[in-house]
Amino acid sequence: MAINILIVDDSGVMRSMILKTLRMTGVPLGDIHQAGNGREGLDILEEQWIDLAIVDINMPVMTGEEMIDRMHENPEMKEIPVIVISTEGSKARIDRLEHMGVAFVHKPFTAEIVRDTINRILGLGEHDESRS
Amino acid sequence: MRAEVEEIMSQVAVETLEKLAFLFAFPGEDDGSQPWDPMTTVRVSFSGPFSGFLAMTVSIGVIEELTANMLGLDDGEDATENQSSDALKEAMNVICGNLLPAIFGNEVIIDIGVPEVLSPDQETEKGAEIPGGLEPSAKVKLELDEGQCVLFLFLDAGIPEDVVSP
Repeated sequence: MAINILIVDDSGVMRSMILKTLRMTGVPLGDIHQAGNGREGLDILEEQWIDLAIVDINMPVMTGEEMIDRMHENPEMKEIPVIVISTEGSKARIDRLEHMGVAFVHKPFTAEIVRDTINRILGLGEHDESRS
Repeated sequence: MRAEVEEIMSQVAVETLEKLAFLFAFPGEDDGSQPWDPMTTVRVSFSGPFSGFLAMTVSIGVIEELTANMLGLDDGEDATENQSSDALKEAMNVICGNLLPAIFGNEVIIDIGVPEVLSPDQETEKGAEIPGGLEPSAKVKLELDEGQCVLFLFLDAGIPEDVVSP
């Protein structure tokens, strides 16, 4: 099963790093979409089939936290798994995200951490990983 | 207390540069005797129970390597000016995001602003000081194969007495 992924981060360099890292994880990748803020991310979610959203928190126009809140209010989007990749260091904020069912990866990250987080949140096993 | 904060700054910056961009830095002495490479400064402000800003002055050579490594560019492939600026701002964002909890703990909520690269007329000639002539609360210099990197931490209320060690 190829996974369609949406990467939302205001840094083009960070989006490139995440994409490069995804290619190293062995996760079977489908279409990769990119957005520079939460608003653009929601627009893509309305138009494309996305299996996983990877979202930064601190972004202009619309933050990742607000984007996730909007997703949870939308019946068509609320079941889409979300991984937040951020520098956020506040325990209270991270706890709030995790209580919303969001997985959290701290920057800087490794390919192993991203791979393990994707496998956990998507329920992928060894068999799925070997299909890349 | 300043020495403890500077030790934390040094550790966080070294670890972040290595993990983020495979850049290997080590603490250097800033005795003013060595000539400075051409440098660029990036700055990010933060607010909350502790407010101020973090600035980083970086050699052009370090920025080039930082950008190339973050993007995974091949030898001979040059980054654009926008990519270099973006890479520098993202590095600043990650350093600041890791530094503040290391100093103040993870129980406080601190809002980090959007990093900005200072225009040349905002920089001092040597890049060793921050505009406005402010005295930093803490400062560390790092040496890399590609040049230098100097971090300045400015805290509006100074360094608190009960600073948290990592």
